[in-house]
This record gives sequence, C-alpha cells and structure tokens, in this order.
Amino acid sequence: MTTSLANAFPRKHFFLEMFTRDISLEDCILDLIDNSIDGLVKTRNIDISTELLRNGANSPPKRGSLAKIEVRYSPQEFEITDFCGGIDRAHALNEVFNFGHGPGEVGGALGVYGIGLKRAIFKIGDFFQMESRTDKEGFSVELNVTEWSAKDQDIEDWKIPLKMVPGATAGKEAGTKIRITRLRSEVVMRLKDGVFETRLRSLISQTYGLFLQKYVEIALNGVPIEPFSIPIGTSKEVQPAHDEYKDGQNGEVLVRLFASLAARGPDREWRGETAGWYALCNGRIVVAADKTELTGWGSGALPQFHSSKFRGFLGVAFFQSSNPLALPWTTTKRGLNRESPVYQNARNRMRGVARPIITFLDGMYKPEAPEQQFGKEIADQVKATTLAAMASKPVSTFVVTMPARQPPSTTTSIQYEAERSDVERVRKHLKKPSLAAWRVGKHTFEHYLKTECPQ
Amino acid sequence: MNRPTESYLKVHYELRPAKQVERRMLVDALQILSLSDFQIRDYQYTGMGSIYFIDFILFHRALGVSKMLSVEYSTNVAKRVEFNRPFKCVNLQIAPIGDVIPTLSGSLKHILWLDYDAPLSATHLQDVSLAGTYLTTGSILLVTVDAEPPTESDEPADWRNYFSEQAGEYFDAKLKNGDFAQSKLPARSVELIERALQGGMVGRTNIDFIPLFNFVYQDGHKMLTMGGMIGTQEDRDRIAKSALSRCTYYRDDLKLEPCVITVPRLTRKERQYLDQFMPCEDRWIPDDFELKHDDVLAYRDIYRYCPAYAELFF
Repeated sequence: MTTSLANAFPRKHFFLEMFTRDISLEDCILDLIDNSIDGLVKTRNIDISTELLRNGANSPPKRGSLAKIEVRYSPQEFEITDFCGGIDRAHALNEVFNFGHGPGEVGGALGVYGIGLKRAIFKIGDFFQMESRTDKEGFSVELNVTEWSAKDQDIEDWKIPLKMVPGATAGKEAGTKIRITRLRSEVVMRLKDGVFETRLRSLISQTYGLFLQKYVEIALNGVPIEPFSIPIGTSKEVQPAHDEYKDGQNGEVLVRLFASLAARGPDREWRGETAGWYALCNGRIVVAADKTELTGWGSGALPQFHSSKFRGFLGVAFFQSSNPLALPWTTTKRGLNRESPVYQNARNRMRGVARPIITFLDGMYKPEAPEQQFGKEIADQVKATTLAAMASKPVSTFVVTMPARQPPSTTTSIQYEAERSDVERVRKHLKKPSLAAWRVGKHTFEHYLKTECPQ
Repeated sequence: MNRPTESYLKVHYELRPAKQVERRMLVDALQILSLSDFQIRDYQYTGMGSIYFIDFILFHRALGVSKMLSVEYSTNVAKRVEFNRPFKCVNLQIAPIGDVIPTLSGSLKHILWLDYDAPLSATHLQDVSLAGTYLTTGSILLVTVDAEPPTESDEPADWRNYFSEQAGEYFDAKLKNGDFAQSKLPARSVELIERALQGGMVGRTNIDFIPLFNFVYQDGHKMLTMGGMIGTQEDRDRIAKSALSRCTYYRDDLKLEPCVITVPRLTRKERQYLDQFMPCEDRWIPDDFELKHDDVLAYRDIYRYCPAYAELFF
C-alpha cells in the first residue's frame, strides 16, 4: 500500500471572495471598531469584568478625556481612525495579519477570532493603507489586495511588508488609522443608500451602549454617536430579577441575567420594538430586543412573544469572560452560538427568570384577576434604570409589591327635597333657628335610626 | 396560561385510596433512598398542598422532612389554605408554581411534586422544563397529570391534536392517531413530560434524569405520576444498588409498563383475613370467601401501603 499526500492549503481567493459573504458590511465595520476598543482596553488596562457594570451613567467622564474613534466614508474611500493606543510592532509582525489565532493565543475582549480586520478590508475594497503608532514605535502598510492575492504559490506569498515609522509624539495621539480605497462596487452601492448611515449609526449606538461616553467616543462622518441604553425599568414596587452564576469550563464564564418591566417611553407607552431579550458578550450587544425562540420564546418554559401582551418585557443576559472564545457568540458577533452549552443553559435560565414577569403581564390584561387591577398603575411608575444599578443589587427574583388595597367605602349620600316650612318647623322644635338644612336632614335621619331601628 | 382546576372542591382528598397507596409507596421509596445515603430528611419538599396537605403531613411524619413549601395559585382560598396549614414548618406561597421553581434554593436538594389534576397542558410542560433547569443535582421530581382523554370528543385524532397543540416542539410528529388510543394516553403524557424535562436540562453537564416511578391509578379519573432524580452517574449507581431496585413499584425505564395501582374492594374483615397470608404465593387464593385471583395479586402489591378508612364519631 502506498500513501500520497493530498494538498490541503489555504487559498487567498477563498478569503477574498467566500469568507466575506457571510457577514454584512455593517458587521465588518463593527469588527474594526471592536479592534479599536480592544486596543483601548489593553493600553488603559481596563478590567471590563468589573468595570462595565460599575457606576454606569452615574459618573460620566468629561467628553474631552474619552478616547476617540472616527469612522468616515464616501463613495471613494472608507476610513477608520482611532486614538486608542496603537498596535505594537511585535504584535503587528507576528499576529495582526494572520488569519485566525493559533491554539492558546487569546484575542482581545471583543476581537476574538483574529479575522475581523482582514475580513473587513477584503469586504470593503481593493487597496488599503494602515498606520499605527504606540507611544514608543509605529509601523505602516500599504497593500494592493488584487496584486497580493494573484501570487499564491507558497506560504511566503502570504506575508505583508510593513514599514517601520516613529511612535506618536503624544500619548493621546497614539492609535491606528485604516484607509481603504478602490471600494467594491456593491459596497459603494450600499454606502450611497440614504438609510445606510442611519442604520450604521443606530447599530454602533446599540452595540457599544456600555462603552460609549464611558471609555470612548465614536463619531460617524463627523457626528458623535450617543449611546443606546437598554430600557429596563424599576420602581418602588417593582424589583427586577437578577440571577448570577458561573458556567463553562472551570467556571470561566460569568453569566448575569436581569429581567424586569421595560421603562415606558415619553408617551407612557411600552415600545414593542425595544422589548425582548438583549444578550451581551463582554459588554458588546450581540442580540437586541429578541422575541424569538433563540432567547427561549415559544419553546420550553415560555409562551410565544405576543407583541401586544408582552411588549412590557425586558431582559438582559450578560456573558463575561477573560477567554472570549468561551463566550457564546458567533463569528459575526450578531447572534448566539446554539451549540454552546453556556448558551443552552442560559436560555433555560432566562426562561425561568422571565416567568414571573410573563405572569404579571398576563394578569394585566385579565379583568377577572382582581389582584392585578393595580398592574397598569404599577407599570406607569416604572422608570428606566441602568445595568450597573441592577448589578449592584443582590440576586433576586422579579417581585411586584402590590399597594395595599383601600377598604371599600362604607358610606353613601342621601339627598332629597323638603318643604322650607317643614325644615323650619324642625329648627323651631330643636330651638336652633340657624341650623343648616343638611344638618336638619342628618339630625332627623339619626333620630329615626335611634328610635325606630335600635341595634 | 391555564389556571389550575380546583378539584379539591369536587373530591374529598382524604378518601382516595389509590392516591394514598401511591403516596405511601413514594414514602417507602424515599425511606429506602435515605438508607442509601441520600439525606432525604434535609431535602426541601415543595408541593401543591391545596387545603388538605396530606402529602405534607405524610412526608413530615414519615420522613422527617421539615423544610416544606406549599404553592397555591388561587388567591380565592388564601385564607383557607393558611387556616389548614398543618405544621409551622410548612411555608405557603400564593403564586403559579412556574414562578416559584426558579426561586427554589440552589443550596438545597429538593423533592418537587407537580401534582396537577388536569390533562397535560403547555403550562405543565413549561413548569417541568423549569424544574429540569433549576432543580439541584440529587433532587427528585414527581409529576402527576390526568390520563383520561383530554377533550370531550371520543376520537383519538382529536386527542392527538390536543397534545400536538399543547406540546409544541416536544410533540413527536411521527406519531399516528393510533398512538393516541385511550390505553396509550398515559405513555404519551410520560414521553412528553420526559422530553420537556430533558429540554430544561440542556446545557447542564454531568447530570441526567434517572427514572424511578411511573404509576397509573384510578380513584375516579385515571391519573399518572411519573418521577425520578436529576442526578449523576454516581447517584444512578447508588440507586441501582439500593433495595429500591427490588421494589415492585420501581421503574428505572419509563418505557416499561407503568405500575398500575388497583385497590380491590374489600371489607375490613376480608382485609384482616388476607393480611395473615401476605405476602402470598403467586397462585394462592383464599379458601373462606370468593375473590378473583387478579384481586389477590393486586392486593398483594398494595397491602403494605393501603389505607384503612373508618368512621369516627367526634
């Protein structure tokens, strides 16, 4: 028997043409932002496991002190510039341009798989320039992707030449700039679409809601993006559910679940489009306002999401780990990996956390349930709170304290017409000529009660 | 969400001999487990005590369980439930059981009896699934449902529709109308309960559902109770080595025929007579009065657990 070796090589063409199909342009841009935020987390030594759910909006830092990320595009070019500390040379030479990490190499907090940068560049255009400076050193690179991909005989052909440049003159200037030109025609088409910018703006606002204005300021085409806050609510009567446990190998994933009634909008109504479950991995929203079976609706312990009945439901599943590969996100970071045991366990527990809220909302629309008649009043009192505020409270189930019911009134009123002369006769008899007519009525009623209906 | 039926208003719970046999068999099993190092006395018992609390009284007296929680859904009888609370150690909670399951302590082991009196419904399956998620390792789950046809109709096709609607994703679409013949309904309910339980356990590692019980009994309606432990391989081995594996009511596989509890109608004098010969040989029948051989065998299975009723003047 003879053995021959079959080729099983990577092909550049695959990475350029196939690899980019499963991800949207928006998600590619978010991948680039992830890398910038990772740079920030690394240079500023931010411990996101403790920091993200601390303080929240209570102590917003001054705008000037935030790191900046600027995203700009036109039909001719796409550019992302960050001031998040830059990439050091050794990392650039050995790691940044690889396709994926080797075993044992851990990415950043948000950049997990080691593919985001390359996938985004290939998706967007045919030529890119990148320059990155830390406070000590810098490098730059310029690459014609078509020319680079044409040569694919040897693993050496995959290497990319870097030019060494000096570091940033001031710490604040340290960062990375990526400029992509010769944009792909389908990308130009999308960028020209009037709704694209609005969509991208709201996606960034939502995805980085916990980072924006706390660590970083992101501007899209020159306009800063405001953070989205998950509209979860609380009140004096409503205690949100809070569950917390460790999962994954050696308990390396911390899972925190919060669920409550949603805060009401300015019109005192719940908004169906923001209701449902939010899932966050290391602070980045990967699933927003989900009402599907992905977060347990309509299967197992939860009913189908009814938009009219359950639009007051809001839940947040917060997954955190220093090993981002242990988190249950997909490679596009826009979904949960169904095969992950961490996700499967969390999904079941999310149902459990949600159940009392569903019971409450169910009862709000049932006239025959007198115990729920205060449901609407309670819902009106629910005000927005922050995840940080909820995380600071102890683990608890969802509890609504019903206000004590007023005992039903035991009195009624009597009103009748009487001849003035008759009223006058009573006044005379009582020797109280100025007694008010209603007192005369009350006196005669009490007299009858006492003399004719003694107890 | 279906509201639980209020069957306690229709049936006097204390006069259901088959149910009582089942309860006593469960106590027997739990006593055996206690002898195999399962610290049943330290378990929390959570049930739906209604206003009679019979299971609570039995478990407290016979097993020494003293962490007890009775869950009642109807606020209409809150005072009555409180009034009938048999022991100080029985806590009460007025809420749907599904809201309570996620709050059961993670640092205790539990016996949770979802003792419904209606045919299996979507809400029941949701509760079972929550039990699979939240019950700690080593806990015991019991589920009782009505095993009669679930609708007024006498067509198995309609019963199949009912279960398909209620069970949703747990329903096995391969099943035909014939699989919903009346005699097969208990088996269908047990399958669905087990599937919902497994669904709730997904994502939990190193544990499995270890079946222990599958009863069918009839005081009025035909009812079924299935149950087992959410436990590890070690728990499974320990149970297999215990005396439980030799008990007639023990079922380690829910596909086996259920343990059918039949309480023959006997006078007190007949029972006393029969007891002298219990446990009897397979072919034994009494000499002194007529009794069918089937009744003798049924009695042999239950005589240790069978309650005796008598009128009291007070």
